[in-house]
Amino acid sequence: MKKPAIMPGWAGKLWLALFLTILVAHVSGCKGVASPGGAGKPAAAVAEPNVTFKDLEGNNLVLSSLKGKVVLVNFWATWCEPCRGEIPILIGLQQKYNAKGFTLLGAAMDDEGKKVVEPFVKTTQFSVGGQPATMNYPIVLGNDDIASQFGGLLGMPTSFLISRDGKIVKKYMGALNENQIVKDVESQL
Amino acid sequence: MKLTRQFWQFTACCALLLAAGLANPAASLAQESAAPMPAASVVKASMYVSHDPVPRGQDFQIAVVVNIVEGYHMNSHKPRESYLIPTTLTPQLPSGFTLTDTVYPNGELKKFPFSPDKALDVYTGSVTLRLKLHTGASAAIGATTVPATLRYQACNNSACLPPVKLALSIPVQVAAAGTKTKALHPELFSSAGPK
Repeated sequence: MKKPAIMPGWAGKLWLALFLTILVAHVSGCKGVASPGGAGKPAAAVAEPNVTFKDLEGNNLVLSSLKGKVVLVNFWATWCEPCRGEIPILIGLQQKYNAKGFTLLGAAMDDEGKKVVEPFVKTTQFSVGGQPATMNYPIVLGNDDIASQFGGLLGMPTSFLISRDGKIVKKYMGALNENQIVKDVESQL
Repeated sequence: MKLTRQFWQFTACCALLLAAGLANPAASLAQESAAPMPAASVVKASMYVSHDPVPRGQDFQIAVVVNIVEGYHMNSHKPRESYLIPTTLTPQLPSGFTLTDTVYPNGELKKFPFSPDKALDVYTGSVTLRLKLHTGASAAIGATTVPATLRYQACNNSACLPPVKLALSIPVQVAAAGTKTKALHPELFSSAGPK
């Protein structure tokens, strides 16, 4: 019986190269970060957008002015229940890591802006570790233009972790997992 | 060149690995990055009129059947929390039409992973909203449309989508008073009404 022919040598090398390429892409993809607006695509950390927010007092807050700190930009809205649900986690992060060079930045996306955001921020109490607390981190007003500079938002909450050197290292769509965000923040400090 | 079984098996393995390699980054980000659908894609609305034609001087109804994509919900017309955005259906009535009532279905109380201790009043699946209208003597005879706006705000189990104002346009045929008319879609407009 005739032995079946095997692949020609050049074809084997070609497929081996392809296999190794796929393997490398696969492995690096596992550790990839979401590029803004493109979850799932492995990408190197990307520079933070050149964004200027307005805070609730009407002052400008330039994102790049926070360079040197680890920043978690959290897009949220007062009408968004999962956003409200994660606020105690965010307060806890600010309490624990602010002195170590971390800050949160809450970008409120309410269409009504300051009118609804300010009273919410000033009066709403959250339970953090069993203790009542209000939002203890800077709140700024977001809008679609700003969101588009982050690659656009499909939903809220959406958060971006920015390294000390001003690069977006991770994007979180949906409610944060406390253990994961703590681990990620600590890895940047 | 003769292609062997081994060649095709190897090719198939590579294809599977390629698929896994392409899919895996998304999967690996899934915990943090479960990308929600665009807000406008979550809801499909279909419109129905209770009578054809609608004679001047007669009451009639418009039903808007809202189908919500599985895995998503939207706030009912009466969410339990004042800060939540309710579902509303608002007609922009042509001259000669009057709105007598808007009928919203009851929501269902559901808990979600982001709200484990507090049930929310939501719509899921398919729900029907109804406009009760009256055609006055001054309504233009012939084909017309009743524009309406469906406003909703939807979420899945971990994220909420921005509020949407969906523009609807419902065709209505207006006839002279006393014109014989046919009742349509009794499953939507019977006194028991849909869900």
